[in-house]
Amino acid sequence: MLDFWLSGFLSLFQPQALVFLLFGMAVGLFVGVLPGLGGTTALALLTPFTYGLEPVEALALAGGVMGGVPMGGAVTAILLNTPGQTANAVTCLDGYPLAQQGKAGLAIGAAASANAIGGIIGTISVLLVLPIATELVLAFGPPEFFLIAVLGLVLVATTSRGKTLRALVSGVAGLMIASIGYNDVTGGQRFTMGIEYLWDGVHLVPALVGLFAVAEMMHLSVKGGSIAKADGNVQITNIGAGLFETFRHWGTVLRGSLIGTFVGVVPGVGVTVASFLSYSLTVQASKDPESFGKGNIKGVIAPEAAINAKDCSALIPTLAFGLPGGAEMAVFMGILILHGMQPGPLMLQQNQLEIYSLIWALTASCILSSFVGLLFARPLARLTRVDTQLLAPVIIVLSLVGSYATDMVIENVVLSAVFGLIGYVMIKFDYPRITMVVALVLASLAERNYHQSMIMSDGGWSIYVSRIPSAIIVLCIVMSVASPFIRTFFSRRDLAATKTAGGS
Amino acid sequence: MPKFSRREMLKTAGAAAPALLAARYASAAPAVFPAKNIQFVIPYAPGGGFDVYVRFITPVMEKYLPRKVSIVPINVASGAGSRGVAQLYRARPDGYTIGILNVPGMFILQEQQGTRAYDLNKFTWVGAMGEGERYLISVSSKSPIKNFADLKALSAQRPVKLSVTGPEGTAYVATMIGTQLLGIRKQLITGYKGSADYVVAAIRGDSDAVIAALPTTMRYVRGGSIRPIVSFETHSSIPGIPDATTLAQPELDRISVERLVAAPPGTPPDVQNILSAALAKALADPVVVKWSKDNDLIMLPKTPTQAVAILNEQRAFFEKWKTTLSAS
Repeated sequence: MLDFWLSGFLSLFQPQALVFLLFGMAVGLFVGVLPGLGGTTALALLTPFTYGLEPVEALALAGGVMGGVPMGGAVTAILLNTPGQTANAVTCLDGYPLAQQGKAGLAIGAAASANAIGGIIGTISVLLVLPIATELVLAFGPPEFFLIAVLGLVLVATTSRGKTLRALVSGVAGLMIASIGYNDVTGGQRFTMGIEYLWDGVHLVPALVGLFAVAEMMHLSVKGGSIAKADGNVQITNIGAGLFETFRHWGTVLRGSLIGTFVGVVPGVGVTVASFLSYSLTVQASKDPESFGKGNIKGVIAPEAAINAKDCSALIPTLAFGLPGGAEMAVFMGILILHGMQPGPLMLQQNQLEIYSLIWALTASCILSSFVGLLFARPLARLTRVDTQLLAPVIIVLSLVGSYATDMVIENVVLSAVFGLIGYVMIKFDYPRITMVVALVLASLAERNYHQSMIMSDGGWSIYVSRIPSAIIVLCIVMSVASPFIRTFFSRRDLAATKTAGGS
Repeated sequence: MPKFSRREMLKTAGAAAPALLAARYASAAPAVFPAKNIQFVIPYAPGGGFDVYVRFITPVMEKYLPRKVSIVPINVASGAGSRGVAQLYRARPDGYTIGILNVPGMFILQEQQGTRAYDLNKFTWVGAMGEGERYLISVSSKSPIKNFADLKALSAQRPVKLSVTGPEGTAYVATMIGTQLLGIRKQLITGYKGSADYVVAAIRGDSDAVIAALPTTMRYVRGGSIRPIVSFETHSSIPGIPDATTLAQPELDRISVERLVAAPPGTPPDVQNILSAALAKALADPVVVKWSKDNDLIMLPKTPTQAVAILNEQRAFFEKWKTTLSAS
């Protein structure tokens, strides 16, 4: 194994492989920055170019793209409150408030280093896990998938302190919207209102573009001024300090990376869940949970570390079983098959060289794209000083084009506009949008796996606790529900004791 | 330089317009087909079987078109494939939009939804990608079920749990009809997202067994994680397991997934022939032959007439089993 590990590494240093890696990374970064467009689109665009390439070169290209996208997505999330891809929606929560405070550089710096370190930890975990990959993937079935979805939904409350009721309203609305479309379990359409476009449900990417990009730009246009408050004293390009922040919060980085790795191994759960779990658990673990959502740097580090770690480990179910964890991995699997590699149990044995060179390419691209991201951070951070009247039209056009390009249908643009209005109303009345996104992402996962679990167990509920992985997740859920109460109990006691008001 | 009056200018333009239009018309006429890029509609998501077939074969197919244009695959994955098929059905019948159809999966959808969105009988058929794939019943290699007799014994005790997609896929058809023919009581676990998904479900023990297409199953058989126990082929290509002949159920061999290539209804025959010839030559190209061999696929070129024959055969089979399929 070590042999392949090294030769995989060396194969990247062939000039062609290196060129394709860098090209892929550049495309990934660029596409990542565009709102709505993510790794899926980038890989789909590049698939035809890989026909003439050697497998290792094609994988260097794909690895480059997959490593580059998250960094690009983070930049847009921080600067414009518009996630470059779905998973970055979580980065907005604290990244954007930082940008508003004029600390965009700090946030981008932290995102870059969290990205790179997350990628490295992800790679190490994958290398460690690969020998037992098959057992690990098989340990998670429908009951576990259902419970992970429940955990995600439960944690919605954590991300929205003080606004729990609003978060629940937004979450339930998300669940209801997610029930539109074709029912995977029993067949047949639900709530499609006779519109053919809705047969496949509410498309996530255009909805997200509307909810974040369009809504934010509407809000800014109405408000006027620029994103960062005109406070000349704050240094907006404090990138070095940002880089350093990640190293100050080792716990957060490590937690995020491990959660990312774990979620990646579980097929079909998706990267958004990884970044969201990482964020929520960081909030729960924090001594100062009130500061999140207002520009806590840990709120940027946690999701970013998770996203890149997840990108590495998501390769495991894809390669070992041909089970793509998401749309991006599905396209990537197509590239593998085109190049004569058949994902499945045999691939782990037969294509070790390719697998390791892919993992190396992915890691190299993570690190390199973080550097490139930093190079551009300075000029990009100045976007937050640009007058909204100039910024909003450009961003709205870019977002809607991205929304269209995702599926090449005009209905996507209409959907983005509708969700733009919904998002604007939500900003106006202070309803959290992230909970709606989480509900949209998790609803079908929860529903499908609930049905499957119940058939597996002949209708018995014990299946959710009788399997060890399930029992562990149930424990996590119980702890997540209980912890705010325990915390409130103790903080009240402290308050009573010290009779002081204000934060901790 | 002679001067043109405005009137003369208009006259000239008036005279030129029909000529230009005629030229435009000529460029769309079959004599020079194809004059622009061709869209290839894949009614399923990127990464799936249909997607991979099309993405691998279309670049080769381009080489065999009389003129150099690109074939651009687009995925229209909505409503279990029906939106892509509906889009193909409504496209202009000029040969610049073609697509791949899952048969008999599409019959089920048409049965559910009626012929408002599309009518499978009216498409112009171009050919097929791949020889119909037959099905296998398999169990996890860790399963206590060792052979078909064990499966029958389990079925006598309680319904056998089988993992499958929703009620729109061809695998669903295979599962429903296969269990009916073999007299196995069943409890379906539906909602899996694709072939890899429901096969892995059986490997990890969600279900007792799975009925999946042969090439898909073989990938996992080689990795040692799954054990085939029944083949639906007339003569099993896997030694030592019962097949349609030994089980005295010849109907089993008629269950197959077909990947037919179609153009919108009313596509002119000469365009149909150009496309069909290019597809047939692509399937015989050494690159495709090697690729299909590596992936356990059989790629035999099919003429439009053969494609229609396959469709008719599948329709007859589907009609016969319609009541079984709509039973649950």
